[in-house]
Amino acid sequence: MNLKDTFWLSYTDLTEKKVRTILTIFMVVIGVAAIVALVSLTTGISYEITNELASLGPTSILISATQSAGFTPADTAAIASLPNASTVIPIATGSGTLFSGNQNSSVTVIGIAQENLKYIMGGNVSLYEGSVYNDTIAPDAVIGYDVAFPSTASGRQVAFVGQPATLKIPNGRSTNSYTIPIQGIAKTYTSALIPIDTAVIMSMPAAESLLHKTSFNEILLQAKNSSGVTPLTNLIADIYGSRARVINTQQLASTAANITGSITLLLVVIAGISLMVAAVGIMNIMLMSVMEKTHEIGIMKSLGFKNRDVLGVFLLQALLIGIIGGIIGIIVGTGASYSLAAISSSASHSNTTSTSSPPNGFAGGGGGGGFAGGGRGGGRGAVFVGRSPTSSGSSPGISFSPVVSPGLIAEALFVAVFVSVLAGIYPAWKASKMQPIDALRQL
Amino acid sequence: MPKSRPEHHGNEYSVRLDNVSKIYKSGEVEVRALEHISFSLKRGEFAAIVGPSGSGKSTLMNILGTIDKPSHGEVYIDGVATSGMNGNELAEFRNRELGFVFQAFNLIPGINAEENVELPLMVNSAPEEERKRRADELLTRLGIGHRLKNNPTQLSGGEQQRVAVARALVNNPALILADEPTGNLDTKSGEEVIKLLGSISKSGNVTIVMVTHNPDTTKFCDKIIYIKDGKMEKQEVLK
Repeated sequence: MNLKDTFWLSYTDLTEKKVRTILTIFMVVIGVAAIVALVSLTTGISYEITNELASLGPTSILISATQSAGFTPADTAAIASLPNASTVIPIATGSGTLFSGNQNSSVTVIGIAQENLKYIMGGNVSLYEGSVYNDTIAPDAVIGYDVAFPSTASGRQVAFVGQPATLKIPNGRSTNSYTIPIQGIAKTYTSALIPIDTAVIMSMPAAESLLHKTSFNEILLQAKNSSGVTPLTNLIADIYGSRARVINTQQLASTAANITGSITLLLVVIAGISLMVAAVGIMNIMLMSVMEKTHEIGIMKSLGFKNRDVLGVFLLQALLIGIIGGIIGIIVGTGASYSLAAISSSASHSNTTSTSSPPNGFAGGGGGGGFAGGGRGGGRGAVFVGRSPTSSGSSPGISFSPVVSPGLIAEALFVAVFVSVLAGIYPAWKASKMQPIDALRQL
Repeated sequence: MPKSRPEHHGNEYSVRLDNVSKIYKSGEVEVRALEHISFSLKRGEFAAIVGPSGSGKSTLMNILGTIDKPSHGEVYIDGVATSGMNGNELAEFRNRELGFVFQAFNLIPGINAEENVELPLMVNSAPEEERKRRADELLTRLGIGHRLKNNPTQLSGGEQQRVAVARALVNNPALILADEPTGNLDTKSGEEVIKLLGSISKSGNVTIVMVTHNPDTTKFCDKIIYIKDGKMEKQEVLK
């Protein structure tokens, strides 16, 4: 029997019991969709994190003070003089709430010299409108996009360039209130280390004044070359000991890769289990189908159909179930991953602007949040580059696109077909081995 | 592509049974379903195997149809001994040399009349056009050319049996085995089917063996073989 006729018989048989066939295919769809959605999402997140880390450059080292004393210009000078050290960027951070219009947003207050802004904004400073502040004591600020367009206001602009806004900053048990002129609004910009979208950025002297600091708590250091990053990181860690936490983008990337790798593995295993369940289901349904068709198999064998012809018909059914289930599963999984990404993105944006507690900064750190490092500040524990909500703060918005690569599509289809055919082998073999005389007796 | 069967295949007999016995063993108990059956049929003969229920008729049909093997003895169909063949060889042999007509018609329910008739030709990968031409020609000849695209469930018993006869004939076999072909039919349809089989055996150079317990159905037969308790009682040549 040729392949075309085998296919026709398989297809005819499948369409005879439509509901059963659809349900069988559905089992494969669920398994494949789960794999595609989970892998594409975790790949997308991993890709996004890697990109954001790469935007900081492979030579970035972040030094976070773990004590309230923080760093002084003497520290920056000392660090700059270390071998392989290139640019040294002092940054002051704190948290507060910005009131503008009828809206209030939890914000991270960042103090950084105007010329250094580009280092935390991926190489160039792009503003939605307005201009960058001057390095004076005046608290002229550039605000993040989500601060100007909070999702709680349905994306309506609540803060405008040229208009003042009120910034409240906790100071011990009291809260200080400042009027800050909005100088510019940054374009939307999610960053692995610095939540620009939810920040109020101003000059270092202004930030130090508002935050009641005489020092700064973060230093972003660029090494001269990527090979010098690890020795420089180790050297600074040795010098500062417990006074600072030192982390470089390579470590972050590595940690991120490890975490996303583990999560991907876990999720794929879970999705794999659903495919295994599908396989058992396919085998069960096909065995039932073979049992029901015993008499027909007997008729076909009496007409001269060989064992391999019968085997071919049933195996091709399993193959068809795998291919159809795989293709639909890939489409459903892709749709689901994009929907989940959109939901995740809007949900996290909503979190960012609606939470009343101050943001945690970037990752723990002492005295009002820092970009990275272990927290001494109790409750503001270190979280991975400040992206996950903690008990005391919210995260900047996670915006990422799922990655549905041709490789993932091919793998998902292969797995669907492989699992289906594997599940179909035994029922097909059983059908092919039936003796015509026994099969004909079954009605 | 169905072969054209020559008048003489170098062998006078289309079917020859040589001392065929079938013994079923169930634990210590032996059931002798058939004992020492020998007979032969010439090409184009229409024979009936008649006997009461449990006489071994169906076992004999299964052995003739090569879907069961004799415990002893040999079955020759078109001069070929069948006992030494393996499963695939037997399948090929059945496809080439045998046609089956069952009491319950045994059509595949999910496909139409024309496709049912095409099935034996599919085994040999005959081209679709040729298959359809042959199936249509046969079904038209058997008077159901207007029911080609109907599924078995949409056909009457008589029509279904005609489709089964067309399917049995489509590969131009040496032998057609009909197991109680009128058993599920009303008298009129049953008589038409028997008449049809009789005319096929005469015009088509095809040997037909029919199992029946109804003596009325043997009037178109050339030979009647009486079986009782697994033994052949007698042979009666009618014409």
